[in-house]
Amino acid sequence: MSTSKRPMSPYMLGPYYKFQITSVLSILNRLTGVFMSVVTAPLLLYWLIALASGEEAYAGLSLWLGSPLGKLVIAASVFSFSFHLFGGIRHLIWDAGWMMEMPQVRLSGWLAIIASVLLSLIVLGAGL
Amino acid sequence: MQNPLARVRGQGSSGGGTQHWRSQRYSALILLLSAAWVLWLGVSLAGADYLTASGVMSSPINAGMAILMAGAVFYHTQLGLQVVIEDYVHIPALEFALLLFVRFACLVAFLISAIAALKLALGA
Repeated sequence: MSTSKRPMSPYMLGPYYKFQITSVLSILNRLTGVFMSVVTAPLLLYWLIALASGEEAYAGLSLWLGSPLGKLVIAASVFSFSFHLFGGIRHLIWDAGWMMEMPQVRLSGWLAIIASVLLSLIVLGAGL
Repeated sequence: MQNPLARVRGQGSSGGGTQHWRSQRYSALILLLSAAWVLWLGVSLAGADYLTASGVMSSPINAGMAILMAGAVFYHTQLGLQVVIEDYVHIPALEFALLLFVRFACLVAFLISAIAALKLALGA
């Protein structure tokens, strides 16, 4: 296929680029987005379907959510939500043309990490 | 109808405008504003029994928020997955099939969410 012979931009992971907070947070924003698309959103959809279907379906889902795997999925979903939320706020701030200097980009990156960990712990703590 | 002004306004070599980018931001804004609601819902309904959960979701405000949220979530999901697929899937037929599937799945997911939320709100 001819498309595979086209020059491509260097892959950001691997040996070509040093890991930096900018590139790591960028890929993490994508990963958390894809994770929520594939796991969290279908789970929320199923929760709504189970609740609308009646007591038996809801009880089955509740039982699964209380299992170790269910708790792991909830914890990963809460962290993904928090991280994507603060990562998204960073993007909206950049879209407004603010905080574009490198020291500010690194600062907002660390703030997003701290805020998403804190929010995850608060939500998981309050929900348990 | 493409004149030089349209090109200056952002309709460059991609052939498209800034519609996708804008839609992604607008849906993000809706999700940002409803984040507090979904966090409150998740925390207050964690481990809740059937009667409590269905009682909360029977309120018109919560049903309306759920439908708005589902619309923004699955629209934003479709736009986001579209970019990921366009970036990483380089087999044209597979790329096309995946893009079509994501659109279809997100639309169906939104419709099912809306019907489920309405059923809970109307107590059918």
